[in-house]
Amino acid sequence: MGRRTSGSWPWRRPLAASRVWLVAAATFGIAVAPLPLSSARPAERRVRIEASMAGFMPAAIAVNPGDRVTVELVSTDVVHGLYLDGYGLSVMADPGQPATLTFVADRPGTFRFRCSVTCGPLHPFLVGKLHVGSKGIVWRAAAIAALIAGAAAWPVRR
Amino acid sequence: MASRRLTEWLGRAVVVLLAAGPPSAALLARGFEARGVVALQGVMPETGGWQPATLTATVGESIRLRLTSSDVMHGFAIGRDNRPPVDVRPGQVTDIMLRFDRPGTYTFYCTRWCGPNHWRMRGTIEVTGSAVAPDVSAPAPYLALGIDLDAPHPSGVQPDGIPSAARGAMLEAGVPEAYFARDYVRRHSPAAAWRAFRGDSGMRAYSDQQLWDLLASVWRRNTSAAALETGRRLYARNCAACHGPAGRGDGVMVAALREALRAPAEDAVGHSRNRHTVAKPADFTDPDFLGASPVLLHGKIVRGGMGTGMPYWGPVFTDPEIWALVDFLYGFQFAYDPQGGQQ
Amino acid sequence: MNRYDLLRLPPVRAVLASRWPLLVIRAAALGGYLLVVVAGWVGTPVGNRNLSVVLVWIAWWALLILLAVPLMGRAWCSICPVPIPGEWLQHGAVLRPPPAGRRGWSLGKRWPKVLRNTWLQNAAFVIVTLFGAVVLTQPRVTALVLALLLLAAVLTSLIFERRAFCRHLCPVGGFIGLYSQAAPLELRVKDTALCAGHREKTCFTGSSDGYGCPWNLFPGGMVKNVNCGLCMECVQTCPHDNIALNVRPFGADLMQPRARRMDEAAKALILVGSAAAYSAVMLGPWSQLKTAAYSAGSAAWWAFALVFLTLVLGVLPAAFYLAVWAGSALTGSRRGGRQAFVRFAYSLVPLGMAAWIAFSLSFVFTNGSYFWPVLSDPMGWGWNLLGTADVPWTPYLTGILPPIQATVLLAGMAWSTGLTRRLAAERGPSPRSGRAAVPVILFHLATTAVLLWLLVG
Repeated sequence: MGRRTSGSWPWRRPLAASRVWLVAAATFGIAVAPLPLSSARPAERRVRIEASMAGFMPAAIAVNPGDRVTVELVSTDVVHGLYLDGYGLSVMADPGQPATLTFVADRPGTFRFRCSVTCGPLHPFLVGKLHVGSKGIVWRAAAIAALIAGAAAWPVRR
Repeated sequence: MASRRLTEWLGRAVVVLLAAGPPSAALLARGFEARGVVALQGVMPETGGWQPATLTATVGESIRLRLTSSDVMHGFAIGRDNRPPVDVRPGQVTDIMLRFDRPGTYTFYCTRWCGPNHWRMRGTIEVTGSAVAPDVSAPAPYLALGIDLDAPHPSGVQPDGIPSAARGAMLEAGVPEAYFARDYVRRHSPAAAWRAFRGDSGMRAYSDQQLWDLLASVWRRNTSAAALETGRRLYARNCAACHGPAGRGDGVMVAALREALRAPAEDAVGHSRNRHTVAKPADFTDPDFLGASPVLLHGKIVRGGMGTGMPYWGPVFTDPEIWALVDFLYGFQFAYDPQGGQQ
Repeated sequence: MNRYDLLRLPPVRAVLASRWPLLVIRAAALGGYLLVVVAGWVGTPVGNRNLSVVLVWIAWWALLILLAVPLMGRAWCSICPVPIPGEWLQHGAVLRPPPAGRRGWSLGKRWPKVLRNTWLQNAAFVIVTLFGAVVLTQPRVTALVLALLLLAAVLTSLIFERRAFCRHLCPVGGFIGLYSQAAPLELRVKDTALCAGHREKTCFTGSSDGYGCPWNLFPGGMVKNVNCGLCMECVQTCPHDNIALNVRPFGADLMQPRARRMDEAAKALILVGSAAAYSAVMLGPWSQLKTAAYSAGSAAWWAFALVFLTLVLGVLPAAFYLAVWAGSALTGSRRGGRQAFVRFAYSLVPLGMAAWIAFSLSFVFTNGSYFWPVLSDPMGWGWNLLGTADVPWTPYLTGILPPIQATVLLAGMAWSTGLTRRLAAERGPSPRSGRAAVPVILFHLATTAVLLWLLVG
C-alpha cells in the first residue's frame, strides 16, 4: 500500500468492554422499565378539535391511560378528516356536521393525529399530537441520550 | 472506427427513446381525451368554482362528465333531481353519465362544504333540442300572497315552556278542522295561529301553554316522520354550517361571514362582495322565529337573502324538499318527538 | 486491510466498468426526470395525486436518505440525470469520447477560483429549505425547481468545463457529499505509488475509453468521498486497473485530517439546523408556523425566514463555536479556534444524518401509500394503468414509528459522541485532551434532546 488509509477503527480509543456492557444494560433498563403508572382513574373525556385548512385546534391533547376519549371533529371550512397514529382510527367531518370518534386510550405514548382528507395545500402538514399518559418515550430517550453523553464524556482510565 | 460511429448513433437512439419517450407519451396522452367527454373541474369558488360553469346537452342524449377537484373535497349533484350526489375528490376523477329527458336549464351544484362560498359553487346545463316545453315550476306562494320576505317578523307572543306536540295531541278533540288544513298552517305563523286560537271562543278554556302545545300538535300533523327526517338530513348537509347544528345561528361559517365584512369589494374572480348587507345567520331558537309563517320560510329558502349571505335554494331543492325543511325548522321551537330531540 | 473491492465481482464490473449499462440507466433516469417535470406542470395541482410530488419528495427522497446515502454515499450522483444532457453537449457524444478533433459545444472555461468551494451549494440548500413548504406540496413548483436545476446544469456545462454544476451548485450534491463521508463505500486507488509513476494520468485527462474525471478530481490523491460522484469514468480510463470501489467501515472519512474545510463544517451545521426546522414546521402542532412557512412572500413568511436564518446560520454555529472554545479552554490549549471548530464540526455528520433519517421516516411511512395510486394515475387524470389508482391512503407502521425514530437519533448521537472523543484525541491522546470533547458532547446532547422533542415528543 502506498499510503495508509485512515479508517475510523484504528484511531479509536476503545472504551473498556465492561463500560460498554454497563451502558448497554442501563440503556435496556431505561427503555423497558415500567414508568410509575398514572394514579388517575380512567375517566370519560370529551375533546372538541376544530380543523381548518391551517391546522388543528387544539393541536396537542393529553389524556390518561385507560380514559374513554370521545373526539369531536369540527371542520370549520372544508371537509377534513382525522387519523390517529398508533390506534389506526379515523373519522371525517363536513362543516356543519361534526363527527365523533370514541375509543379507549389503552396504548400509552405520544401519537400524532393527522388530516385524512386532502384539504388544500397545507394538508400534509396538518398534524397534532395526543399524549396518552406521561410522555414516556421522550423521557426514556432523553435519559438514554444523557447516559450516552456521560459514557462518552467520562475520561478513559488507562 | 465505423463501428464506433455506429455505437454512438445507437447510443443516441437509446437516449432519445428513454429520455424523450416518457415525457412525450405523457404530453400526447393529454391530447387524447375521448370524444363526447366533458372535463369538469371544481375548485373553491374563491378561485373559480366549476370550470366550465355552463354546459349544453341535447334531450335524450347522454353526456359523459369527468369530474375532478383541484383543491379540496367537493361533490356534484343536479338540482331538483333525484339522482344521488357524487363525491368529487381532489386529484381523482369521477366519471358520470347524465341524460335529460326534458329540455330546460338545470342547475348543478357542489354538495360538500368547501368554504364560506360553497353555496355559490353552481353551474347550469342548458338542455335543448325538443319541441316539448321545459318544466316550469310554479311560482313560490309568497309572491301570490304578497309577503315581504325581508321585513322583520317579530312574534309578539312567546310560550313559557317548549310547546309539546305530544301533549297537544291530547287536546285536539273539539278543535275546528279548519285549523288543521294545510293551507291554514302554511299561511300562518305560529304566533298568528296562536292568537287565532286564543281568540277562538271554543278554546277559551285552554291555558296559554296548552294552546302552544295544541299549536305544536297542529304543526306536527301537517308533516310526517319521513318529511322531518328529510328535513333533518337537508338541514345537516346544507344549513348547519352557517345556522349551527342546534339552529342557533352559530355555525362554523359565521366567522368567515364576519370576515366578508372586512374583505375587499371583489373576490378573486371578480364577483362583487355585498359587504354591507351581510347578516348573521338566523337563530331558529329565537322567539321571533315564531313570527315567521311556513310560506315566508319557503320563500326565504327559495329566493335567498339578497346579499345577506343566505343562499337561494330554488334551483337546488324540489318543492317537497323545501317544505320538509320548513317543517324541520319548526322543530327548533317545538318538541315534535316525545324525547324532545331537536332542541 | 478492511477494504473489499466490489469491482472484483464480475457482475459489478460488467455493469460499472462498461459504458452501455450506465448510459441506459442515466437515460432512463432522465426520462423519468422529464416525465416528472411534465407531470408536475400539466397534471393535477393536488400534490399527493401527482407523480412529481410523490415520486420526488416521497419515493426518491426516501430511497436517497434512508438507503443510498447512508449505505452508498454519493451513489445517486452516478445515475443522476441532471448533468447528463449538458455533458452530452460538452462532449458532442453520448457514449464514448469522439475521435480527437471533434469537440462538443462548450466554452470549457475553468470554474472561478473564488467559487471553488461549496458555499454556493450551502446557499442553494438554505434557499430551497426556506421555500420547502411550497416546493414539497405544489407539483408546479416541484416541476419548476427541477426544470431550473436541469437548465442551470446545461448552461453551466456549456460555459464551464466538467461537472461544475454538480461540484459547486447542486444543493443535493452538497449534503450527500458531506454525508457520504460516513458511508461504507468509497472509490480509491489501490496503489498510489503506481499513480506516481504513471505519466499520462488518463483518469484525470481522459482517453479514448472515457473522459477525465468530471468532478475535477485526481483519483490518486483522493482521501475523502465528498466530491467523488461515482461516475466510473476513471475506472474505465485507468490503463492499470488501479481503481477500486471499496466496501469499508462506516465513517472512515470523518477522521481524515486532510481536506477539512470550513464550507463543509458550515454545511454540517446548516443540515442539523434544517432538520430541526423541517421537523418543527411539518411535524409540530404549530399551525401559525406552518402557514407562515407556506405563504412565501408574505410578511409572516419573511418573519419565518428571518427566524430560520438567525437560528440556523447564527445561533447554532455560535453555540457550537462556544462549545468548541470551551473545550479548548478546558484543555488549556491555545490553538486556533477556527481549526478546532472545523475539526469538531465533522462530529455532527452522524447526528445530522440520523436527524434527517428520523425526520424522513415519519412522512415516508405515513405518506408512502400515495405511491401506489400515482403509479397508475401519474397526472391525476383518472387513469388506472396498473390497477392501483384506488388504493386508499394508509399510513404504515405508525405505532412503532416513534421508537424507531428515537432509536435512530440515539444511534446517531452515540456515533457522534464517540467520534467527538476520537477527534479530541487527535491532538494527542492525553487525558487532558479528552476534555475538549466534553462541551461538544453536551452540544450533541442538547441537539438530540431538541430533535427528540420535535419528532417524538
